[in-house]
Amino acid sequence: MATDEFIIWSFMGCSGAEAVLNLQPDSLIAIAYHPHFGSHDDLMLLEVDEKLLPDVLQQRVTLRGQPDEGAVLCTRSKTYAIKFVGTSNSSFLIPPSDQFAPSQNSLVCDSKVYDLQQLAPVIKVAPGNMELNEVSPRLDKLKLLLSENPYRTEEVLEMDDWDMGKSKTGLYTWDDLVERVQASNDELRAGLRALSAVEIDGYWRIVEEKYMDMILRMLLHNSVLNDWSLHALNEDEVVRVLASDGFPQKLALHCLDVYGSKMDGDVCTSYVWKLDGRKVCVHFGREILREGKRKMENFMVEWLKKIPDGIQASFDMLEGEVLTEKLGVETWVRAFSVSSLPLTPAERFSILFRERPKWEWKDLHPYIRDLKVPGLSSEALLLKYTRRTQPSLDAEPVFSAR
Amino acid sequence: MQIQVKCSCGAESCPEWAIVELQGAVEVQPSFQDRLQNLVIGELCRPSSQENYTFTVGYHELTGSKVTLKKPLLVLKKLKSMDLDQGSENGPAEVELDVIGIIRHKILFKTRPRALISKPQPTVK
Repeated sequence: MATDEFIIWSFMGCSGAEAVLNLQPDSLIAIAYHPHFGSHDDLMLLEVDEKLLPDVLQQRVTLRGQPDEGAVLCTRSKTYAIKFVGTSNSSFLIPPSDQFAPSQNSLVCDSKVYDLQQLAPVIKVAPGNMELNEVSPRLDKLKLLLSENPYRTEEVLEMDDWDMGKSKTGLYTWDDLVERVQASNDELRAGLRALSAVEIDGYWRIVEEKYMDMILRMLLHNSVLNDWSLHALNEDEVVRVLASDGFPQKLALHCLDVYGSKMDGDVCTSYVWKLDGRKVCVHFGREILREGKRKMENFMVEWLKKIPDGIQASFDMLEGEVLTEKLGVETWVRAFSVSSLPLTPAERFSILFRERPKWEWKDLHPYIRDLKVPGLSSEALLLKYTRRTQPSLDAEPVFSAR
Repeated sequence: MQIQVKCSCGAESCPEWAIVELQGAVEVQPSFQDRLQNLVIGELCRPSSQENYTFTVGYHELTGSKVTLKKPLLVLKKLKSMDLDQGSENGPAEVELDVIGIIRHKILFKTRPRALISKPQPTVK
């Protein structure tokens, strides 16, 4: 196509998008290049679902990502990948008359003079637009960052030096994490919780398991000494006693939070906590297997010995934490924790099938039930990453790598 | 890095922009290649009360219609803060995105152009 009418005109008082969109029947409007027509790379088009629109217009979204990562858009609760979709069509972008109003006067000349009210200026030809696709938050990076410098036993003793401005490498505040992790605020908070992270002196930390073990054992020890019920622990008292044993208040509280749950109760007095039997049992199971695999019988004896009175242990509490395997006539148990596995499905399944080429459903399920991919059901996930075989109709299905 | 998405136009009164979209590209005569500014591309006409349109570019006519986008497009403008102190100290200047418009409709010409033979020939010497 060729523009043969060389009309140069003044935009003073010309119209814009409104005139195009409200063009009356039986009338016409000239479409022309704006006096400031150009590539305008600073102008971008973002396709947004109607239900996301209020979040954007009320300034509740941000873009997050390092220069080497593809940017994501985050609302308060969700994360969306941003993808540029190009078009081979010519998309003439026309602003409303009060935006990009040209300031200079140009001359009207040549064959045809348009009434200025009937000119709509094109500011740029859009090469395409950005699209949003909901994705899982990229929380593996959160784990990586917090693992750089976990809170250790020695740190409690070094508190004074630390205040003197010792190295703060590998420490991240909330704002640091928001800058680095591609996740919405809600997802980041949930991620910190799943990692049992705690904010200490303004930095989000994961606490070394050895230290958590020390503090939990001290808590249980004190509960015997002071005749506390594990189902109704008084927050103030627990924190006071643990503090006198040398544990910072924040970590005493964190211990209650990791191994227990806060009960609804009278807020005027002190909070009451109930220890979660499963979490305590899992903790001691992991402690035993830290040094390596054990014969089942030995493991059970040692494990049950560690479980405090008032808490009932059963082996299924350890699903997603340990694997059992038969070696000859013996059954062995070893640690294999779902929390140590990557959160991206492809990497997760690759590690699972490296661990075991074939999985029965009841064994596999605890290791994949936390995987969530927007727009993909758990059945679809299984279809995508596994091959399902069922030797006979009444046999348990077996899953192997695709 | 975090980029705030602002909306300086206000949620209720986000101005509506328009798109006129056609297949392929508009070729400008060589002598105008470097100075497109102010040049008229063509005439958009609505011949009847229906949402059908014609777009006449030179001696070509396109027919099309007004379509409502399934999902609206937001017009974003990238703003760089001009804080000089920050620029030199903390690496790249802060960037913000500002929503300056919304596009809900476009006038779409999906067909190939039809030649208007009845028009007078251009003045060729």
